[in-house]
This record gives sequence, C-alpha cells and structure tokens, in this order.
Amino acid sequence: MSERNRLRSLFTLVQINGLIPIRTQPLYLVNLIASPLSFLFFIWIVSRGADLAYGVVGGMVLTMLSVGTGLQSDLTHYRHDMKFQDVVVASPVEAPVYVGGMALSELVYSLPALAVFVVLFFYYGYATPSSAVVLLGALLLVWSFATAFAFTLATYFQDVRETWMFSPIFSLVLTVLPPVYYPITYLPGWAQIAARFSPTTYAAELVQGAVGLQPLSFGGATFDWIVLVAFTAALFVLAAFKARWKDP
Amino acid sequence: MGFAIRTERLRKVYPSSHGDRAALDDLTLDIPDGRVYGVIGRNGAGKTTFVRITSTQLALTSGTATVLGHDVATEERAIRVRIACVPQEARPLYFLNVEEVVYLYLKLRGLDPAEARARTKDALEQLSLTEFRRRMVSHLSGGLRRRVLCAMVLASDAEILFLDEPTTGLDPIARREVWHAIRRAVRERRTILLTTHYLDEAEALSARLALFERGRLVLEGTPEELRARVRFPYRVTVQGPFPASELASYGRVSAIEGGSLVFAREAEARELARTALERGLRVSMGPVSLEDIFLDVVGKSIEDEGPGAEPTA
Repeated sequence: MSERNRLRSLFTLVQINGLIPIRTQPLYLVNLIASPLSFLFFIWIVSRGADLAYGVVGGMVLTMLSVGTGLQSDLTHYRHDMKFQDVVVASPVEAPVYVGGMALSELVYSLPALAVFVVLFFYYGYATPSSAVVLLGALLLVWSFATAFAFTLATYFQDVRETWMFSPIFSLVLTVLPPVYYPITYLPGWAQIAARFSPTTYAAELVQGAVGLQPLSFGGATFDWIVLVAFTAALFVLAAFKARWKDP
Repeated sequence: MGFAIRTERLRKVYPSSHGDRAALDDLTLDIPDGRVYGVIGRNGAGKTTFVRITSTQLALTSGTATVLGHDVATEERAIRVRIACVPQEARPLYFLNVEEVVYLYLKLRGLDPAEARARTKDALEQLSLTEFRRRMVSHLSGGLRRRVLCAMVLASDAEILFLDEPTTGLDPIARREVWHAIRRAVRERRTILLTTHYLDEAEALSARLALFERGRLVLEGTPEELRARVRFPYRVTVQGPFPASELASYGRVSAIEGGSLVFAREAEARELARTALERGLRVSMGPVSLEDIFLDVVGKSIEDEGPGAEPTA
C-alpha cells in the first residue's frame, strides 16, 4: 500500500468512526465534554476558583485519555459485534493505519471539549509559546499511549461489556488518583510515591510547571519527559508484539 | 490455470479447558483460480476456520497454506492487498447508509474516490440495491444487510473473494441476484471461495466442491466427480406399493411420502425403474443431488459418532 493510500485509509476511518456518527447523532459531542467539565465545575466550586488552573490542565489530560477509553469500546464492538475488524484484516489496511485512523476519529469527538479548555487556557493567561509547546507535546504523548494501550486491550476482550468494566478503572487510576487535577503536594507522602507509577502524573506535572502553577526545574522536566516518552514507547512495543490483529 | 489457494496437512487446534479441539485436521487442498470453489459441511465442520486461516485472520497450528503463492503465516501483507472477505457473522456499520458502506469500504482499501464511486454504483445496480442507497443500514432487513456486505466485497478490486455463507437469510430472488454477481466476478477471472449451507447454491455456482466433516476433507471434486464417487450415484423414487425387502435388494432404501426413495448403482436403478413401471407404479429416476451425497456422507459420520454424540460445534 502506498503512503497516499495509507493516508486515504486513515482519513476514511476518521470519516467512518468520527464524522458520520456525529452527523447522525450530535449528542456524542456533549457526552464527551460532560465528564471533564463536571470535574472543572467541581474544582471551581470547592476551591472557590483558586485551583481552576489545575482543573483546566486536568481537563485536557482527561479529555485525551477519554480517547483511549472510547477507542477500546469501539474497537471491541467492531471486532466482536460487527466483525468489522475481520473485514479490515482481510484487506490492504494495516494494523497501524486502522488503529491510527480509529484513534484520530476518537479525537474528533474530543474536539469540543478541547476547544473549551484551550479557550480557558488563553483566557486565564496561561498560554505562552513555551507552555503551548509543552502542553501540545504532553497531550500528544497521553493520546499516543492511551491509543496503544486501548488497542492492545481491545484485542483481548471477548465482549464490549468488559470494556465498561475497565473504563472507570482507567479514569480512577490515570486521572483521579494521580495529581492531574491538583498539585502533587496535596497528596500525603506515600500517595506521592504511588502517583509516580502513573504516566499522567508526569504529563500533568510538565504542564503545571510550564504554566507556572508548580515550580519545575530543568532536571525535573527532563526526567518527566523521559519517563513519559519511555512509557509511551513501552506501550507501543507492547501493542506491536502482543496485540492480536490476527487471531492466535 | 494455477492455484489460488493451496494447503498441505493444514491443522488448527483451538485450546480449551475441556481439552484441545482440532477444528481442521490434516487438510490438503488445491483450489484453482478464476472459479467458484464451494466448501460445504455441517455446522462446526471447519468451513469458517478454513476461510479465516486462508484470509489471514486466524493463525494456523501446523501444516502450510499459501494464497496466490504467498505463505499465510509469513506473507500476510502480500496476500491482504489481493483479497476481500465477508465474514460469516459480519454486519455493516449501522450508522452508515447503503451507499456509504460500499463506497467507504473501497476508499478504505485505497481506491481513489472517482473509481470507488463508479464501482459502488455498479455493485449497487448489480444487487438491486440502488433504490436503497440512501437508506440507513439500521433501517434495513437482515437479508438486505447481507446483500450490502456482498456488494461491498464484489465491488472491490480483490482477486480472491472469501464469502462465508453470503446468502444466509436472503429470499430466493435476492439469492439469485447474488449468484449473478458472483458469476460476473468469475467472468472477470476472480476466484471465489464460497461456504454455504445451501447445497443447491453450492452446486449451481461451484466448479469444484469440498465437503468437510469434523475438520477433515471427506470429498473433493467437481459435482459430477462427487456423484461418481458415492456408492449409489442414482436415486429412484417409487410411488405406490412395492415390497420393502425387494426394494432393499436394489440399494439403500428410505421411506418417503406415499412410497420409497432408493439410492442405487446405475444398473440396479434402471432395473428397479423398469420393474416398477411394469407393475404400473409411478417412477422417477436421476443422478443423486448434492444434498443426497451430503446426507449419505455426513449421515454415516453421525452414525459413527454413536448414540448421544453431539456434532462438533
């Protein structure tokens, strides 16, 4: 398959799983904006507006992670209920193109939520060239590892109901318990150590540092980037070797 | 003429907590290109496993399988660009309309939009789906959804089409429209691997046939060759009283409404027909149908399983 055809396949998947379902049912967009904005509202009320910046950063991270949870449900549904993955496997479309296209299509659903957060990001004056680059890089990595992990898991699920069980666990482990919506210093010592096992801790720390919410040294930022990239790379390797594109 | 698909001692074992189960066992088969090759067999005979392995969706356990000269275990990419498949339980995506299902599938395969649109129009016309082209899949009957899937792969540029029970749930007219489209694909020198439970369909379309039973190949050949290889290649129906013990001397006897059905060799069949006519009974005689062969071979297999045995699902 030529690069041009790969791109055509990729954007066809965005059309199939993103643009057309939204055209058919626009409420999908509201569904994905609801969770991050609920958290933001909650933080705004509880902190009386003081921690709103953390809510904005956390909301963006949660939005990117929701791509992963949405993706694992869609991939499992298409694989088992529609046999769509079987149709795609027996075609020129390669696994990375399929997963990339599906992950991009999930991003389409997240665009309204991201747009709200980006507006708030600018409105509250957090946007500088350097913070925007850090934000973009960190969110891209979160989206990437969420995609790789979701694809790997989806090829093991036997039924879409299993994904319903995992999605809240992901949200808990990757966005609520780690200091995504609040500074890590709010956590007791043992919890700070536990939070270091979540890759979203590093993403949030980088963005919080870039917008000046938390002090972050150059060494600390470098370490955060290394961990985040390494974690993402590890999940890509896991997907490449363990995901079941062809059934065993 | 070459071979589109070749397998040698192909074996597939599904691991299970109740003990491993061989879905395919020692399967050696050569499928010629440019024709329809039919695979028939009971539920659980291994038809879908065979389709899934040769269309690169499922790994084999041992043996070899090549498609268009490429190994299914190591050269999947070279195979996938030249095949298309309608899986047995596939459903078109419900939020698309009929035209989108076909058109977007072709674009997904990398066809440019103009060609995809032309092929979509043609396939929808062939399968009488043009009037439904703007209708959402979620509003279609089960039979129409199946036709949409057939249109999807028939519209593709694939050289081999894997059709796993493509006409299940279709009415007789719709089935014949699919047959017509399949025949046209063969005229375009494409190879069709067709699995079906409709034996008339297998006989009407297939240049060669394979009968699978419990993961093994039990019969293979053209429909005529299959007839020649069964013990009793002729069927004689006798309407009216005819002593059962006498009928049994001609061949294998089954009771039917108002008379008997006898499977016999040609000489015995002719003799029986003449005798029955002389006694003033109504008689019909002809070669056995594919269904007769199927029931003969598979019936024996069921008897071999013994009482209480379940078919391998």
